[in-house]
Amino acid sequence: MSLNSEIAASKIFTEEQLAKYIIDATQEVFSTMIMMDASGDYPLREPVNRFKCSITGMVGFAGTYSGVISIHCPVSLALKITSSMLGMECDEVSEDLNDAIGEIANMLGGGVKQVLSKGGLDVKLSIPTVISGEDYTVNSLSDIDCVVIPFKIDDDKFLVGLTLKKED
Amino acid sequence: MANILIVDDSSTMRKIISRSLRQAGLPVDEVFEAGDGIEGLNVLASGKTVHLILSDINMPNMDGLEFVKTVRGNGNTVPIVMITTEGGEEIIKEALGNGASDSIKKPFTPDQLQEKLGGLL
Repeated sequence: MSLNSEIAASKIFTEEQLAKYIIDATQEVFSTMIMMDASGDYPLREPVNRFKCSITGMVGFAGTYSGVISIHCPVSLALKITSSMLGMECDEVSEDLNDAIGEIANMLGGGVKQVLSKGGLDVKLSIPTVISGEDYTVNSLSDIDCVVIPFKIDDDKFLVGLTLKKED
Repeated sequence: MANILIVDDSSTMRKIISRSLRQAGLPVDEVFEAGDGIEGLNVLASGKTVHLILSDINMPNMDGLEFVKTVRGNGNTVPIVMITTEGGEEIIKEALGNGASDSIKKPFTPDQLQEKLGGLL
């Protein structure tokens, strides 16, 4: 079992490092599995925790590092993403929509895990959780490193966030 | 033509894998789906002819590592390829030790499926 040497050497990530991991993992998932090009931007100065007419997919990880990776997406864009993933029209909130967003979160979690742990046994991923609604908030109750990257697909926007803490 | 069993708790991923197999030009006949290892074992126990199993690792009820171990424990030698976000070498080593034939990391492209699975079908 071996940690990525770069990661093991630094207890605290720079915002640039975390932003790069998020952008790389997100663009890989979108280009290979969804057939959409998502362009990432600079991290937001303040985390966003209130969402309207949106859907959020989250995967937690625990072990040497703990935290959550999440994707927050307007329902209108989530429907386009799901339609592209499944190769069929998806025009309403359904089990397919929840499953697709959950699976994207799962693949993003896998991408980040690969950076944190080369061996794979020292960081465990949770089963994805999906929430959606007309108006809801998502809060982290711990003061740990948090980076939120805004992405664009044509004129649509979505967010990918990562909270991360190295356990002692 | 080959019958494939896809074991993954995500119905979206099962559909993507099924579509990608055909996009890759692999000789696929029937595709059976299972949502976890227990459902996968039920498909095999039903007597359906399966030529290749593609299994996720991180699943509820029975994960992919336990599923592979159980399939091999039952004396079934059908090739099993793990398709998973769990790309860590230790987990893959454990899957191979349990009897898996190979692994593919999600996200993947149809070309990667062709490269990994072409020789098994």
